[in-house]
Amino acid sequence: MTPYNDAPQNVRWRRRFFVLLLLIVVPLVAVALYLFQRFGGDTPVDYASSEEQFKYGSTGGEHEMGFPYWIWRALPQVCAEYLPGPGYESLGMIFEPGKDVPVGTSRRRYQGVDRVFLNCAVCHTSTVRTEKAKAPMVISGMPANNFDIMGFQKFFFACAADPRFRKEYVMAEIDRLGGNLDLLDREVVYPVAIAIMRERVLTLAGRFDWIHREPAWGPGRVDTFNSAKVIFNFPMDVLPPQELSAPADFPSIWNQRPRQGMNLHWDGNNSVVEERNKSAAFGTGTTPPTIDTARIKRVEDWLLDAKPPKFPFPVDAGLSAKGGALYQQYCAECHGASGSDFSGASVGKVTPIAAIATDRRRLDSYTTELAVNQSTLYAGYPWRFTHFRKTFGYANMPLDGLWLRGPYLHNGSVPSLRDLLEPAAARPKVFYRGNNLYDPMRVGFVSNVPEEDGKLYFEFDTKLPGNSNVGHEGKAYGTELSADDKSALVEYLKTF
Amino acid sequence: MAFRYESGRTLGAFKIFLLLILVVGAIGGYIAWDRGFREHPQPDWVRATPEMRFKYGSLGAENDAGIPYWIFYVLPRMFPEKLPGPGGYASLGVPWEEGQELPVGFTKKTIGFPRVANNCAVCHTATYRTKPDEAAVFVVASPGHTTDVEGFFRFLIDCAKDPRFNADNLMSEINLVTKLDLIDKMLYRFFVIPITKKRLLERETQFAWIYRKDFPDWGRGRDDAMNLTKYFMTKQPMDDTFGPTDMPSIWNLQKYKPEQGMFMNFAGDSHDPYSVIMDSALGLLGAAPAHKQDFLDQVAWLHEYLTKLPAPKYPFPVDAAKADAGKELFAQNCAACHASARTGTRIPLPEVGTDRNRLDSWNKNAAVIANKVVTDMGLTRKGLVEATLDGYIAAFLDGIWLRAPYLHNGSVPSLRDLLEPAAQRPKVFYRGYDVYDPVKAGFVTQGPEAERIGTRLDTAQKSNGNQGHEFGTNLAPGEKDALVEYLKTL
Repeated sequence: MTPYNDAPQNVRWRRRFFVLLLLIVVPLVAVALYLFQRFGGDTPVDYASSEEQFKYGSTGGEHEMGFPYWIWRALPQVCAEYLPGPGYESLGMIFEPGKDVPVGTSRRRYQGVDRVFLNCAVCHTSTVRTEKAKAPMVISGMPANNFDIMGFQKFFFACAADPRFRKEYVMAEIDRLGGNLDLLDREVVYPVAIAIMRERVLTLAGRFDWIHREPAWGPGRVDTFNSAKVIFNFPMDVLPPQELSAPADFPSIWNQRPRQGMNLHWDGNNSVVEERNKSAAFGTGTTPPTIDTARIKRVEDWLLDAKPPKFPFPVDAGLSAKGGALYQQYCAECHGASGSDFSGASVGKVTPIAAIATDRRRLDSYTTELAVNQSTLYAGYPWRFTHFRKTFGYANMPLDGLWLRGPYLHNGSVPSLRDLLEPAAARPKVFYRGNNLYDPMRVGFVSNVPEEDGKLYFEFDTKLPGNSNVGHEGKAYGTELSADDKSALVEYLKTF
Repeated sequence: MAFRYESGRTLGAFKIFLLLILVVGAIGGYIAWDRGFREHPQPDWVRATPEMRFKYGSLGAENDAGIPYWIFYVLPRMFPEKLPGPGGYASLGVPWEEGQELPVGFTKKTIGFPRVANNCAVCHTATYRTKPDEAAVFVVASPGHTTDVEGFFRFLIDCAKDPRFNADNLMSEINLVTKLDLIDKMLYRFFVIPITKKRLLERETQFAWIYRKDFPDWGRGRDDAMNLTKYFMTKQPMDDTFGPTDMPSIWNLQKYKPEQGMFMNFAGDSHDPYSVIMDSALGLLGAAPAHKQDFLDQVAWLHEYLTKLPAPKYPFPVDAAKADAGKELFAQNCAACHASARTGTRIPLPEVGTDRNRLDSWNKNAAVIANKVVTDMGLTRKGLVEATLDGYIAAFLDGIWLRAPYLHNGSVPSLRDLLEPAAQRPKVFYRGYDVYDPVKAGFVTQGPEAERIGTRLDTAQKSNGNQGHEFGTNLAPGEKDALVEYLKTL
């Protein structure tokens, strides 16, 4: 124990200690760094073009509701019998060339997992064929006439409740699809994600249990505000019956700038575009803490001035001019001076239900109780909702891109403009929705074909609750015009 | 040398350690104060108008009776089955203006963290509609005939009793609606949620009598006011009395003239408006005011505001000729009590003959104790009447059209029904639906919507008797109609 021997031994031990420390710390740091890099990010996929961003960009909904990419891809095969046909296409989702996810879905890498969920375009983009054999055009901002959102929900609810929603089945399908997952994804991330998704979807399924007791909405429609009640976990089984069965057509969403301040939504229950947008974004899985406001703003800005495409068939100028005069006389006060000039004393205002007399279920589905609860949404944020109001009628809409907005009325109960100019008794009682073939004569989509190449269209029965095609009729609504005048008016409306 | 050197170093390290503890302690203390107790005034919009201040202004009840905001926020989403129906808090009939974050009478104030409590407006704001398809009109200082106070008390307690009321579940629900920072998350998880649960559970014993199966529900628009005072303020043991009464209107308080022998509350239990306001406010605080001067200022402001606030005008057309005829009948049949020196004074029970349970729910001893409790808080007011009370006050009738249902216990749905002999008055009806019936002068109390939204009142149940006040009941039907027409103008 002389000082001589002491020092080197000390040094030796110190060296050993440091080596040991390095051996422990370095791998730990490396693992931590790797895990941080692997699980730390939050990166959505963005697009240069605003329209692409609208169709494929993120609202932030993937944070809470996003399906891990490969689960999203695998489920249509794993649970194929819960779909009407092969793949998400069978629910009316649109796949564009070169894209592996449909229009209306976005991708985001969050917590180390590529996730997929919905965005605005899923309900506000559709396709049109001008001829039976021609390829359809994809049109952003028009109502998603062919998207069956109830079918979409039921598919996931049924699949999550199915014993095959387990890693054994899902992972096998991912392999078959060429998922090529690495060890960590295969052994940890995806098995955990499958369990979590199953639980999330089943929770949601419980809250949406009421849709199984509802008549099918069919493609192009959603029960907007009964779905909104789910946000607050209202006990749907004790809702008064008059509030239920209130499906409404998806609206077109072009030209939002001139709509600011109008009574928005079919019943006009909100007058602020941004608030309405954030409200709709709940449908894409967003929550106040996880919404991607910057990306929503980008889409929002684009929609301010987005324009509908022109009517792609010839228009008879003379007939249209005659129709223009009738339009000014009968329609302009409520629906605006033209398809681009929305001025008019009653445009964007609510017409009382007794006057408009259309199916009142959508109106009754929206209650004061819901409105006041909505004013708690985004509490603590500067954009807390403050503009939701119970109304007592339906709002008068501007008619931009009207030709793409069939079937007509808030519940999509009248297949074409020409039919809408008939008194309710003469409107089709049963017709077919979901066809994207256009009928330029009646102005609307072909609605008398039940089936095409094995694809069944949706039978819309106007006798079912929420589907009534009455109202918007009488002298003031043009249903008493002569047949020639009606044709002229329809010709003019093609120019909108 | 070595020793001194060593000890100096130890002392230095110790000092640094001490300093560190002090600094950490100070920072911790600051954070605890800032996030737990620091008071922030309510935002300016709350006092933008006197009416807004009445509806949303804090009385200071957030200190002791406040519910942490985010707990309040998520409870209806977590426990919707414990509410009377769909609609969250709206299903309790609380008056709630569209666009407002909280119902009328709910105040939000940050004391460390945002908290929610109540003020007078929760029980003293009415809504009415002239037809179902229209937006409700909100009238402050009127009877809160739609609010289910008992339902609200029970909801909070029932939530706390549920095993799902725990930090994990509440936090996951809160994280869906807001982004708390780490400190607030810890605070909520380890302090706010457990303490709130404990406090709410304590209420179960305090509120034991509202769970008694042999007592009917208060229903919308009523509270067992004197028992609330007796059990909470004077801490008297629970007895078998039960006397829920209608929320009264509190406008135009200048009509009460204590110097002319008038008293306040249904049985003349209190001396003057100022005392009633203070005692009611103390009831909402549930404790001595944390800031006495602020409290006194708010009570004084309420007193001044309510003194001159006029009763609302009847919103339907009135048949002037019929009302004129009714005025004559009023003079002959009603004025002796309702427009005379007797008005505002106590009418002996045998004379008025209405349900006596409300009288039994209060006593002289309780008044003595309550007055002492308030005095001990260092608060001065004339206070409760220390005497045995044997009758009900003959009411002023200003704005009587909006004060339905009638009698102190709200046992008669409309003015027209009140003019019938007790045997012919409705035996069962539904309270708290806000569509007005201009024919009978009262709210609609029958029919599918009234029955869906309202709460059932059975006059055969304890304290709900609709007997008594059989005055004018012998008039001819046409005369009764005329009298009702006149009453609409008051």
